[in-house]
Amino acid sequence: MNRKVVRITDLSKPSDEPLVRIAQEDLMPVPHLEEEPELNPNIEKYKENYDVTLDGYLAIGVPKEVEEKALVERFLNGLRKLFSKNDNWTFLQPLALYTDYCAKCRTCVDACPIYISSGRKNIYEPPFRAEILRRLYRKYLTSSGKTFGSFVTGEVELNANLIRRLAELSYRCTICRRCAQICPMGVDNGLITHELRKLFSQELGIHPKELHDKGTVQQLKVGSSTGMNPDAFKGLVSFMEEDIKDRIGLDVKMPLDEKGVDYLVIHNAGEFLSWPENPEAFAVIFERAGVSWTLSSEQVGYDAVNYGVWYNDLQLTKLINRTFEIANKLDVKEIIIGECGHATKAYYVVAERIVPSDKKIPVKSCLQIFDEIINSGKLDLDPSRNDFPITLHDPCNMVRLSGIVEPQRRILRKCTKDFREMNPNKEMNYCCGGGSGFAIMPSYNFNEWKMKVSGRMKVKQILSAFSDVLDRDVVKYVCAPCSNCKGQIRDLIRYYDLWKKYKITYGGLAELIVNAMPDIPGFLEFEFH
Amino acid sequence: MPEIEFKGQKYIVDEDGFLQEPEKWSPELAEHMAKIYEGIDKLTDEHWKVINFLRDYFKKYGIAPPIRILCKTTGFSLQKIYELFPSGPANGACKVAGLPKPTGCV
Repeated sequence: MNRKVVRITDLSKPSDEPLVRIAQEDLMPVPHLEEEPELNPNIEKYKENYDVTLDGYLAIGVPKEVEEKALVERFLNGLRKLFSKNDNWTFLQPLALYTDYCAKCRTCVDACPIYISSGRKNIYEPPFRAEILRRLYRKYLTSSGKTFGSFVTGEVELNANLIRRLAELSYRCTICRRCAQICPMGVDNGLITHELRKLFSQELGIHPKELHDKGTVQQLKVGSSTGMNPDAFKGLVSFMEEDIKDRIGLDVKMPLDEKGVDYLVIHNAGEFLSWPENPEAFAVIFERAGVSWTLSSEQVGYDAVNYGVWYNDLQLTKLINRTFEIANKLDVKEIIIGECGHATKAYYVVAERIVPSDKKIPVKSCLQIFDEIINSGKLDLDPSRNDFPITLHDPCNMVRLSGIVEPQRRILRKCTKDFREMNPNKEMNYCCGGGSGFAIMPSYNFNEWKMKVSGRMKVKQILSAFSDVLDRDVVKYVCAPCSNCKGQIRDLIRYYDLWKKYKITYGGLAELIVNAMPDIPGFLEFEFH
Repeated sequence: MPEIEFKGQKYIVDEDGFLQEPEKWSPELAEHMAKIYEGIDKLTDEHWKVINFLRDYFKKYGIAPPIRILCKTTGFSLQKIYELFPSGPANGACKVAGLPKPTGCV
């Protein structure tokens, strides 16, 4: 096994070759996965134009040729802003605490699925990334660092090599915050990843194009990160209403722009395109429960996505403000976020610190609303309608971050018959491996890294949860109430061929609720998609 | 950005082969892209049914249609679409049809 240890100072050294290479024999073994695709990062294809020298993979694709002096100056400027109250009032306090408080006990290291799955490559350790920021901060921004140098800061050299590699390294963490959950000091290395990404995006214009150009920029301009404009959205709503009729023979309306209702429901717009059965199921549940609700057809109002939460506070804030403007205009009582983890983080958690008090409207996750509806006894549900094995994926942003743990479990117990937990679960569950935007970042050779490294632990968990029924010719369902996780789990199932091998499929939670309604024909279709 | 060459013309594509200048798309170029990316010798009527629908929908709405609409309109199952375009509806069919790479959580 390749146990080469990379030191922080190595990141500043010139090299044509990656500091670390992932080899198949290093990867964490996964039971029941006898064969898997071979590793082929195809470094040769990219090394001419891009810096591939971190680990041979590219998430952002930082160009090789950069003007070093300007780059270093801009980085230092960004570093100063991160630690300045005026420029970083939202996150300065936790950042400053985490920069000071790490006791270097390394408890977090073994909690990281990326570090473990990779075969313990030390560059992926959560505190490795944080320590680089810590050393830079001490060296350039503290008086002791400036006076006593590396004696108090630890060695670090700020140059273009370090900046390019650190930019990529800030996209080797899914911000799942499992390390934060386990840290005895409460240090959140995920937040440090987020702050680094912010520095790169806001000061250096370095970010994955899927998150920025095609993500938040496109969303603010067109209305959705999918490129969906309001006309396209309205067309899809008509299609979904017809589709509900085709599936279950009922006329169910998906109300648009209705003022004064209880709930403004905002889905991740990816649902309309890839999994329309999910927003359709919401409509059936709300109609059955007699809830007054609406969708918005205004730009941004129909896409809960807010990729800003992963990399850029300015974009994050613009989208949050736009969404609250729409909700205020519609005069709704509550905003309900659909099955989307990062949107739950943006609107249920972060918005609380950003939205002015006169604009505030309560925000809830759909999981809480479904739980309330089912508890109130308004829905007739027959668990035997969902009699196949089901396991639950806990989206990190909903569960570990937002503390929404039991609602989805109570719901599953009421509408399914063979619900089995993954292990570990709840606040200690593992990320799907597509967190913090990775699920929508397929460029260069990054997909391979997502499948082989960051998603590996989830594949292991899924196969273990179904280990007693793998051979049985029954469909097995991974319930993932988050669009991003769902996309990643779909890609994992496809990559490892788990549908053909083991009949493992995936989907959301709302579909299972509707499928358990005894008086309507089956809602789920088990064609893998 | 990488390029592909066809009949003496150069076409800019992204790193996954999606055409970056959609106005340069032509049925002949689609035949060529189908060959180099999907290993399809000759596009059949069934391929064209998919391609034409994708292009019409894109012209109208500026995005690729949901897979479910594609299947319902063409009458092809998802499996059939994979048989026609081995890389699937997005990476195969949309690419050959000259549509941009799908974005967002899809």
